[in-house]
Amino acid sequence: MSEDEGPALRITKIGEDYHAAFAAMATPCEIRVQTADGALAERLGQLAQQEALRVEHKFSRYRSDSVVGRINASGKGGLLVDAETGDLLDFAQECHKTSDGLFDITSGVLRRAWHFDGSDRLPDPNRITSLMPLVGWRKVSWKRPHLRLLPGMEIDFGGLAKEYAVDLTLHRLMAVTTQPLLVNFGGDLRVSGPRSGGTPWHVAIESVQMPGTASGILQLSSGALATSGDARRFLLHDGIRYGHILDPRTGWSVKNPPSSVTVAAETCVEAGLTATLAMLQGADTEEFLKREIIRAWVIR
Amino acid sequence: MQLKERQAGDVRKRIARLSAGLLAASLAGHSKSAAAQYDSENNNFGPGIAYSQLDAALLVYQEAGGRVSATEPTLDLSVHGADGRQLSLGFVADAVSGATPNGAVPSNIPQNFLTPLRAKGSTATVTGASGGSTIIQLPPTPGQIAQAALGRQYTVPANTLPVDKGFRDHRGAFNFGWAQPLGGISEVGFGGSYSRESDYQAVTSNAHISQNLNSDNTTLSLSINGEFDSSFPFGGIPVPLSVMNAQWKSPTSRNKTQLGFVAGWTEVMSRWWLMQLNYAFDRQSGYQNDPYRVISVVDPGSGEPISSLYENRPLHRQGQSLFWDNKVDLNPAVTEFSFRYYTDSWNITSKTAEISEHVPLGNSFYVEPSGRWYQQSAASFFRYFLVGSQALPQYASSDMRLGAFTGLTYGAKIGYHINGRSEFYLKGEYYEQMGNRHPASAIGQLRQQDLFSGTNAAVIFAGYSWDFH
Repeated sequence: MSEDEGPALRITKIGEDYHAAFAAMATPCEIRVQTADGALAERLGQLAQQEALRVEHKFSRYRSDSVVGRINASGKGGLLVDAETGDLLDFAQECHKTSDGLFDITSGVLRRAWHFDGSDRLPDPNRITSLMPLVGWRKVSWKRPHLRLLPGMEIDFGGLAKEYAVDLTLHRLMAVTTQPLLVNFGGDLRVSGPRSGGTPWHVAIESVQMPGTASGILQLSSGALATSGDARRFLLHDGIRYGHILDPRTGWSVKNPPSSVTVAAETCVEAGLTATLAMLQGADTEEFLKREIIRAWVIR
Repeated sequence: MQLKERQAGDVRKRIARLSAGLLAASLAGHSKSAAAQYDSENNNFGPGIAYSQLDAALLVYQEAGGRVSATEPTLDLSVHGADGRQLSLGFVADAVSGATPNGAVPSNIPQNFLTPLRAKGSTATVTGASGGSTIIQLPPTPGQIAQAALGRQYTVPANTLPVDKGFRDHRGAFNFGWAQPLGGISEVGFGGSYSRESDYQAVTSNAHISQNLNSDNTTLSLSINGEFDSSFPFGGIPVPLSVMNAQWKSPTSRNKTQLGFVAGWTEVMSRWWLMQLNYAFDRQSGYQNDPYRVISVVDPGSGEPISSLYENRPLHRQGQSLFWDNKVDLNPAVTEFSFRYYTDSWNITSKTAEISEHVPLGNSFYVEPSGRWYQQSAASFFRYFLVGSQALPQYASSDMRLGAFTGLTYGAKIGYHINGRSEFYLKGEYYEQMGNRHPASAIGQLRQQDLFSGTNAAVIFAGYSWDFH
């Protein structure tokens, strides 16, 4: 293998498990498999990397040749999209409806106004007002398979793609092996089931105050975990904490959200979306989680 | 911000259901994408996306020794609908000129060849930059009309392969195809083409059906094709094995029909390996001769050409071939290798082996070196020449393409992705034909001559392909 054959895949044996680690979707990714077979681990690692890179390549908003890049550059006539993209758009549309507009894949343009650098500099309200005409799923014409955005609008699967990749990857790996597996892309993860002998996987929740250290250990025997929140990305103004999650209906940052919300669910897509919605409740996050009977861990 | 009042757990349940639905849809589509990723290197829109592709290219072909040269612009457009419908259109124009071997053997003395004028009754000169021929007055023949008493004569120097330098033609061709899924059938389609030169016309049509099985990992296909060709050479259709002359002949045209089928099996062996096996059968009936081509009759002692006879080939030809192709994706390089075996009722058998390697260089460039080896045996009626004292065979041709030879092609393609949707490519190929230059049957002066009239040629291809919605 030469160095040109793609990004590195690191295989390490840790205890009873093999870990295969690589970088994709701008985040560290790893899979863990409970096996003594290093070749199997490498094969699984390659498959996981392939799938992560595929999803990244197809849905990254930073690549002009991705589907999202082409959608955002598609102009007045709009364009026809493939079945997989269509499924994601259908999903995003339903989530928009279910969340009364809180989850909106068109909200990304608001990032032009907001810079979460830990300072107290709130954006110019006029700037936000001028961007709002470009935000809102209802302004999008989506009649499968044809999609048309208003000029200047953009879509972004950023809040979805990583979790989606975790779920697809796990399915692909489970088609290859029956060994216990854990797929973790940047903290969003899912397991194939308990470890052999029925013991759970141990997953650490990263400490907000001291990144890199654990503030708690979760035990996971099935399903997925996803975390929303980034302790390092906020603004603090007049004693109010503005987290990096924006409300697409106002263009403003949600006030006083938790530092992070970790949600457990059957699939990683479900966990990720639920965590994002919980975060969007701001001060009411806990109330929302309680009302919806969601298994979650909130760090304030 | 708060969600509207709902039943406890409503949002969670709904999101759970949506998430499960999304993943189920994706996973169902997943096995398809494994097959589709091999679709085409240019198809970077992924499976099922509607797009169009425009490919414009210029081909320049030059045979060694200043023989035939050709310039061929091509334009291809294909429109892919998201629902699997495809329309393709193609246009080709080419200009061919130069010298083409007329079939006669070289001689130790200069040889004259007499052939009809390019147009019946033409009095215009056909000598030109590449002509090298003169119009001569033919000796009067009883019953012949006045204008036809002119002919074109060209002289070939001693010890030189006889070529006719008056060869110049234009060709225009057009093709179209349509394919779509139909009911439970993965794809049905039909197509056709029309090609026209000043002395030849071809019309083809085809229909195909293919079915994907085994989660789209297997594709079985069947296509049938028919062709109807008309040949209307300058000077009319010569009587087979008659002496070459400048008379206008009748009839002025003859036809050929061809009917064939191809049965194909494509299998996704693994995510890295795609295999294809095709069996083809075809049968041609009608006029198969090259109307300009002659074969020398030589003196049994000295080997000097006595006369040139128009060639003759059987009216029927039936051929079969087996083709095995493999694409192996050794990420990021893609290797393609194939073998082909062909045999026909003219006793020609041929074997082809081909390999190419597609190697990406960074994000924008790729190179694709390729090599092809080809070997064929001679048709049963292939002769370098005929011998004066022997009885004339029923069929005879000295066309090197019907003789035994080995061909080697070396090529390389360089492509540059201008962006995700357009690509510029440059391809160069060199073709070398090798055969027996001194067959054991050579007589007298022929032993000193190079009797192999195969050629070496270079092809340069420059193209631009653009994918758009």
